Amino acid sequence: MSASATNETETPDLSAIARPPQVLNNRGPLWVTDAVCSIVEGKTPLWWYAGITVSGAFAAAGLACILYMIVTGVGVWGSNSPAFWAWDITNFIFWVSMAHAGSFISAVLFLTRQKWSLSVSRAAEAMTVFAIVCAGVYPAIHIGRVWFVWFLFPVPNNYGMWPNFSSPLLWDVFAVSSYLTVSSLFWFAGMIPDLAVLRDRATTKIRKFCYGVASLGWLGTARQWRHYESMYVLLAGLTAVLVVTVTTIVASDCATSVIPGWHATIFPFYFMAGAVYSGSATVLTLLIPLRALYPQLKDLITPSQLEKVAKLLLMMGSCVAYVYVFELFCAWYSGNAFERGAFWERFHGTAAWYAITCLTINLTVPQLFWFKRIRTCLPLVFVLAILCNVGMWFERFMIVTTSLLHDFLPSSWGNFHPSIVDILTATGTVGIFFTLFLLFIRFVPVMSMNELKAALPGAQPQHSGEEH
Amino acid sequence: MSRLPLCGSPFQPLHAVGARFDTPDALIAAFKRLRDAGYTAVDCYTPYPVHGLAETMRLPKSLLSFLVLGGGLTAIVLALSMQLIPSNLIYPIVVDGKPTGLAGLPQYVPIVVALTLMIGAVAAVKGMIILGGMPRLNHPMLAWDLFAKDASRGFFLAVSARDRNFSLGEVSEILEDAGAGDITAIHLEEPDSE
Repeated sequence: MSASATNETETPDLSAIARPPQVLNNRGPLWVTDAVCSIVEGKTPLWWYAGITVSGAFAAAGLACILYMIVTGVGVWGSNSPAFWAWDITNFIFWVSMAHAGSFISAVLFLTRQKWSLSVSRAAEAMTVFAIVCAGVYPAIHIGRVWFVWFLFPVPNNYGMWPNFSSPLLWDVFAVSSYLTVSSLFWFAGMIPDLAVLRDRATTKIRKFCYGVASLGWLGTARQWRHYESMYVLLAGLTAVLVVTVTTIVASDCATSVIPGWHATIFPFYFMAGAVYSGSATVLTLLIPLRALYPQLKDLITPSQLEKVAKLLLMMGSCVAYVYVFELFCAWYSGNAFERGAFWERFHGTAAWYAITCLTINLTVPQLFWFKRIRTCLPLVFVLAILCNVGMWFERFMIVTTSLLHDFLPSSWGNFHPSIVDILTATGTVGIFFTLFLLFIRFVPVMSMNELKAALPGAQPQHSGEEH
Repeated sequence: MSRLPLCGSPFQPLHAVGARFDTPDALIAAFKRLRDAGYTAVDCYTPYPVHGLAETMRLPKSLLSFLVLGGGLTAIVLALSMQLIPSNLIYPIVVDGKPTGLAGLPQYVPIVVALTLMIGAVAAVKGMIILGGMPRLNHPMLAWDLFAKDASRGFFLAVSARDRNFSLGEVSEILEDAGAGDITAIHLEEPDSE
C-alpha cells in the first residue's frame, strides 16, 4: 500500500487487531509501583497465616519423614525389587519438569519479545526456583546413604576414586545444579531494581537495611541500566538453552537404558513437552488465586494474559497427547515382543490404573481449552489446571515405575505399593513448594515493576537521542 | 555561596548538583544542554531503562557479553579436562562397553553444556554487579532525601562537582532553563564521629 493511498482513504480502524493493553484501565507508573509494593508493605492478611500454617505443617511432616528415612534406611519406602525407582524419582522428575514452564515464560518469551509475559514472568520464575528446590530433595536422599553423596561430585579424594562421567545419572547432578544456579540468578538479578524500590519506600530501619543489602546498592544510573539490560538478555539466552537441555538430560536417565518403555529416542521431547505443559498448569494454579486474593493485581494480571498461558498449556498438552499415541504406535510397529509386552502390561497389569488415569486426564482436559468460553472462565481454568498436574504426576509414575514392573524376565516382574512415608514425603514437597511461594508473595515484589513501567504507554521518550 | 537548597553537611565538600524531571524527554533534553555547555561528568538516574538515554550519553556498549563468553570458554575447558583426565588417565571406568578416549567424547557433552551455562550465568550476574559499581551500602546521592525516597518515580540528573568546567551558577541556570524541579546542591555527609 503506498503512502498516498493511506492519506486519501480514512485511517483504518486498527482496534480489532491491536494488542490488548499490558496494564488495564490506563494505570500509570505510580499506580503500578503502589499496587505491587502494597502486597509487601501492607498488613499480612489472615489467609496468608492460615495458608502458611497448613503448608508448613505438610512441609514439616515431609521433612520428618526424610529424617526418619535417613536414620532407618530406604526400606521405609515402598520401593523394592523390581521397582527400585518409584515415588522418589517420579517426584523428582515431576518437580524438575514443572520448573521448565517458568524458564520458558521468562526467558523464551522475553527473547521473542512477547510483552504479555511481563507481569507473569516473575511469579513463574519463582515457581521454577521452588520447584527445583522440591526436586532437589530427592536425588540426594534416594541413594540411601546420604553421607556418601559426595561420591557424586568430582572431588579428589584419598580413595583415588572418581565418578563415572559417562553415566546419565551423573549428568543429572550437573544439569540440575546448573539449572538451580542459573534460574535463581535469573530470578534474583531481575529483582534487584525492584528490591531497590522497596528499600527506598521502606519505613522501618530493619526493612531499609534488609532491602538495602538485597538490592546491592542499586541506584538506577544510566550505566547500571546499560549493563543490567545486557545481562538480562544474556541470562535469558542461557536460560532458554536450559529449557531444552535439562529435561533432555533427565530423559536420558531412562532413554539410555534398555528397559522396554524407557528405551526410546522420543524421550527428551516427551519430557520437555510434559514439562512446559505441567508448568503452565502450575502458573495458572498459582496466579488465578493470587489475582483473586489481591484485587489490585487484577489490572496487572489480565484475563488475556492468563488466556495465553492456557493456550500454551493447550499446545504443550497436545504435544504430550501426540507422544502418547506415537509411543503406543512404536510399541506395536517395532514388532518387539518385550516392548509390546511392556505396553500391554501398562494398561492391563496391576498398575494399570496409573496409566489409565494419566491418559484419561492428559488426553481430555487440555483439549477443553480449545473452547474460548472454558479458557476464559478463570475458576474453571483453575480446577482444570490442577487436574492437568495430577495427570502429569501419574504420567511420571507411569513412565518411571510401571516400566520397571514389567521388563524381560517373568521372574523379575512385580508390583509396587507406596508406604505412608512415601506419601507423606510427597505431600511434604508440595508443602515446601507452597511455603516458599507464600514467603515469596509476602517479602519480594511479585512482578517486575521496572519492566512493566518501561512498557507502559508514554514511558519512553518521544524523541530519543539523535544518535538512536 | 549559593541560593540552592542544600543537603548533606554544609561543612563537607560539594558532591554534585542534582535535579529532578518529570519525563524522560525532559531529562534527555537537559542532558543535551549540559553536554553542549561542555559538561562531561553528568549522570542520569531513571526508575526503568529509558530507550536512547545510553546512546545520548554516548555510553560504550556493555562489556558483559565478552565476560560471559570468557566464562563460557573457561567452563568448556574446565568441564572437558575435569571429565577426560580422570576417566581416561587417573581412574578409567568402562561400563556397558562405552568407548573411552576421543571416541567417547559425546558422553562428555551434557556436563560441558551444563557447566558452560552455569559459569556463563554467574559471569553475567557478577559482571553486571561489578561493572555497575555494586555492591555498595551507601552513596553520596542518598544524602538527598528526595532522591532516596523518590528514585522509583522521578527522573534524576546529577552534575558532579569534579567536572572540569563545573560552575555552580552556570549549572543551576542551565537546569532551571531546562525545566528541572528541586535543583539541590548535594554535599557529602559528615563522617561518623569516631
